[in-house]
This record gives sequence, structure tokens and C-alpha cells, in this order.
Amino acid sequence: MTTPGTAKSVHTFTPKSYNGASFWKAAWRSITRKTSRIIGFAIIVLFTLMAIFGPYLYSSHLPINTNAIYAPISWKYPLGTDFEGTSNLALIITGARYVLLAAALGALFTVIFGTVLGLIAGYFVGWSDSIIMRITDFFLTIPSFPLLVVLSTVWNFGHPLAMGFILGITSWGGMARAVRSQTLSLRERGFVEAARGLGLSPFHILFREILPNVSSYIGMNLLTSITGCIYAEVGLFFLGVVPFHVNNWGVMLNMAVFSAGAMSSPDALPYLLSPLLALLLLTLGIVLFLDAVDEMFNPRLREDV
Amino acid sequence: MKNFLIRLVWRIFSGILMVLVIASLTFFLIRLMPGDPVSAQYNQLIMQGMTPVQAENQVKVMYGFIPDEPVGEQFVNYIWGLLHFDFGQSISYEGIGVSHIILNAAPWTLILVFTGLIASFLVGVLAGVISAIKRSSPTGTILTVSGSLLHGVPQFVMGLLLAYLFTTLWPILPFGAPYDSSINPGFNGPFISSLISHAVLPVVTYALSSYGGWLLTMKSSVITVLGDDFILASEIRGLKSSTIIGYIARNAILPLFTLFTLSIGFMFGGSVFIENIFDYPGLGNLLLKSIDTRDYPLMSGAFLLITIAVIAANIITDFLYTFVDPRIRR
Repeated sequence: MTTPGTAKSVHTFTPKSYNGASFWKAAWRSITRKTSRIIGFAIIVLFTLMAIFGPYLYSSHLPINTNAIYAPISWKYPLGTDFEGTSNLALIITGARYVLLAAALGALFTVIFGTVLGLIAGYFVGWSDSIIMRITDFFLTIPSFPLLVVLSTVWNFGHPLAMGFILGITSWGGMARAVRSQTLSLRERGFVEAARGLGLSPFHILFREILPNVSSYIGMNLLTSITGCIYAEVGLFFLGVVPFHVNNWGVMLNMAVFSAGAMSSPDALPYLLSPLLALLLLTLGIVLFLDAVDEMFNPRLREDV
Repeated sequence: MKNFLIRLVWRIFSGILMVLVIASLTFFLIRLMPGDPVSAQYNQLIMQGMTPVQAENQVKVMYGFIPDEPVGEQFVNYIWGLLHFDFGQSISYEGIGVSHIILNAAPWTLILVFTGLIASFLVGVLAGVISAIKRSSPTGTILTVSGSLLHGVPQFVMGLLLAYLFTTLWPILPFGAPYDSSINPGFNGPFISSLISHAVLPVVTYALSSYGGWLLTMKSSVITVLGDDFILASEIRGLKSSTIIGYIARNAILPLFTLFTLSIGFMFGGSVFIENIFDYPGLGNLLLKSIDTRDYPLMSGAFLLITIAVIAANIITDFLYTFVDPRIRR
């Protein structure tokens, strides 16, 4: 492959290290390569902004308008209103913070637990491996959603961190197993043996030599576990097993279906459809963006144009 | 054969150990609960005019242990009861054994999920083979996209959308309840047809939300097999393409077989959302209701059954695989 592009990159490939700036530049290039990825990225940015700034756009108690209960879609209420006459759009925007923050934390915990335990199990084979894998098997076997439902009786899910922690605890098993199997094959490779021969510490080998090689898998998983976490937490609120501390999409769904009777009264329909729409849009964004993340972290897929 | 038996015994032993760990987890969970439901129940019975001895016996029957005993002793009693399949008594359904309630709820879940599972498996696998073989044509692309989209939509969103579409917007199917309450339950035509028409939406919801997973897994499995040498060899020998597809399918289905038997284990707890939306009286609904009414013996019983099913399916899968795939047997 001697396209001008590769020739140029070979030319500039002097001992210069793979620093932060060039990573972001490469990442940006893989995002802008396809329209679908740009759309996905835009949707994710939109929701992230919503989560960060959304609650500041409205007063802490959203205005109630008794004259506009279940108002139809209009300029004033772009997504209609709920049973108190509060704008559904405002509910979606202010509800995004809890949902996204808890999901991001949940995915982060999943990835951290899974990666650290997987690396340790795969690198230090032997008793630590068998103990960690027993525990992993145990967590993989327990059906995680029923477990979440049962845990909701004792655990206070009011804070996103608490929700994220439990979501992480229940879902790291698959990640740990996959990272372990990759580490098992990597530890036999030449560069790891060389590092061991140089007398580098296991800590260095694990996190500086092996970790970058599993990073593409981790990056993909971070995104897919965010969607998993969103479904699980919104689902918990939808089922109504978790007390409603804050407004969020799951609470909206629950109220719409079980209190407002949105299934049978067409007036309440926008109240039901707006959180569904938000969920579907976010899913679409993540699915479209996933493809770019794969390329970002996996240098073998990077086609230099 | 001897190795096989040793492995079997070991797996069953570790399975039982796992069940016991989960049972202790729910046991201590109930003890940890704010307000200690066990003592609360005891005090409530005393308030109702029972003597302490009566109240203690009643609580013991309900939870399988006595509140005043040291925790260690309670725990031993509880586990001892479990080993005799004694899950205690329900609080909300007064005086009825937990195992009885659970066994009544299980068939609803099983019929619902099993039908959905079979339907999605057959259609998904077939679509997966087609999308892999025709992966560069529009048919393949459309199938794959349909799979990824349906795979991405969460079960409760799918359920709500389907329920809205077919019960309100275009009311051709009934909503909620497992059958029409005006019809006498029994083995008669109207009852069975009402049973079926009420089951259509839940089953379709389950089938649609698991279809994508089967399609995508089968597709990638077929593509892996397509690269194998024996496929090239059979093409060179000029075998009929239908024969080759038969070879491909037989090899590609193996990983899916494992997933399928594992799904059977996850059936018991896999339809919490669907049962909730369509008000189906299965295990998932039972679990939610028991939490709602603070019926903790029922809750731990339902959760235990859901987990035991998964553990059993894991063990069975492991051993069936050795029969299905001769390459493993060595």
C-alpha cells in the first residue's frame, strides 16, 4: 500500500511518541469519515450537553400549568405536557442528568472492575486466577436484572453514584472474562517477555504493556455498557421498585403507563412517547458512534486516507 | 467415562454451593433491611393479640427462622429448611406456602418465554444464515440492520410500543391480563382462544427483542465457518451449494446451541418487563409484587428459583455440549 497518505505518515513516523494531540486528531478523523458517525457523535454531544446544562435552564421546580394538562404538541410545549401541565421537553432535559450520569458511572465501574480483575487473573495465572474466575462465574450466573430488583429493597438509589456502583457490580463479569482471555494470550508474546526480562515491575507490565493492547476492546465495551446501564436503570424506575427521588425518564415512563393511563387515553400519549423517543434517539446515537470508537482504538482498522 | 462422572459430580456440588451462597445473600439482605421486617412482623402479631409463643411460631413458619434466636442459629434453620425444599410461607397470601405460589406462577412465564424463544431462535438463525451468505447484497444488509436495530431497542420500550400500536392505535389485540375474566377457565374453545390472543403481544415482544441477538451471532458464526478450508475444498469438489450450506449450518450452529440452552435457564427471570407491562401472572410479576407488598419470604423464594434455573442450565449446557460437539470429547 503506497498511497501518498501512507508514504507521508511513514515519513513523519520518527521516534516521536504517540502523544495526546495526535490521538485526538486521529479520533476526529475517524469520526468525520462517515456521515452516520457524525450523526451519532452529534446525538451523543447533544445529550451530554443536556445532562450538564439541562438542570440550569429551568428553575428547580418546573412550572405547573393547570390550564394545560395533557396539552397537545405546540410551539410552547414542543413535546406536549404531563398530568400537571409541565412541559415534557423540560422533563426530558432536566431528567437527562441522572440517567446519563448514573449510566456513565455504571459503565466506568464495569470497565474498571472488569479490566483490573481480568488483567490480574490473566497475568498471574495460578491461585489468584482460579479465585477471581470463580467469583466471576458466580456473578455471571446470577441473573442481573432480578438481582437489581431484589437489591432495590435495601439499596438507596437516590444518588447517581449509588446507582452506578450497583450497575457496575452486577455487570463486570463478562468484561473480566474477555480481558482475562486476551491477557492470557498477550502474556506469552515477545514484548511482554522482553519487559519481564528487563525486570520491569508487574504493575508496569500490566498497565503499560498489556493494557494498551486491550484498550480497543475496553473502549467498545465502555460504550455498550453505557447503553446497558441506561436500560437497566430506566427499567428499574419504570417498574417502580425504586423510590422516585428525582425526575428522570424512567419515572416519566412509569407515571405515563401506570398512573396516567397513556395506553388507553390518547391525550396522555405525548407524555409516554417523549421518554421513549429520548431513549431511542440516544440508542441510535450510540450504535452509530460505536463504529467510530472501534476504529479509534483499533489501529489495525484505521484506514489512512 | 470415569472422568466424566467426576466432573459431573463436581459441577453439581459447586452448583449446590452457589445456590447456598445466594440463599445466604437473600437471608442477610432481609436482615439488613431498614426496620427489620422479621421483628416488625413479630411485633405486629403480638399487637393482634397473639401470645409471644404463638407469634414466634407464626413468624418461624413464615420466614423459616425465629426472630429472637441468634442470627447464626436462624441461618442454620433457614438453610436446613431450604434443603428440604421448604421456602417458608408467604405474608401477603396468608398461610400459603411460598413454593406453592411460585409453582403456580412458573408455568405462565415458561409458556410465554419458551414460545418467544423458539420463534426468535428459528427466525433469527435462518435470517443470520441468509445475511451471512448474501452479505454483500441489499437483502443481507437489510437483514443485518434490522437485527442491530431490534437488538438495540430495550425490551420495555418494545413492549410499550407494541402494546400501544396493537391495542390503542389499531385495536386488534387485547391488553393486559392473561385471559378474558368473563370466560370460565377450562378446556373449552373460547377460553383457549382468549388465552392465545392475550399471549400474542407478550410473546411477540419477547421474540422481537431477542431476534436481533440470534441473527447477529449466527451471522458472525457463519462468516467464521465460511473461511474454513473444508468449505473451499467442498466448493472445489463441485458439491451442490445446498449441501455446502448444510455443512456450514451444522458447524456454525454449535456456539448458538450453547447460547440457546443457557437462554432456557434465563427464561425464568427474563420476562420481568413483559409480565409487568402486559400484567401476566408469571414469576417476574410475582417478584415485583412481593417487593411491593414487602412479602420477603416470597421475594427470596422467587429469586432463588430464578437463580437455580440458571445454575442448572449452566451445568446441563456444559455436559450436553460434549455430546453435540464430538471435537470436545477427547
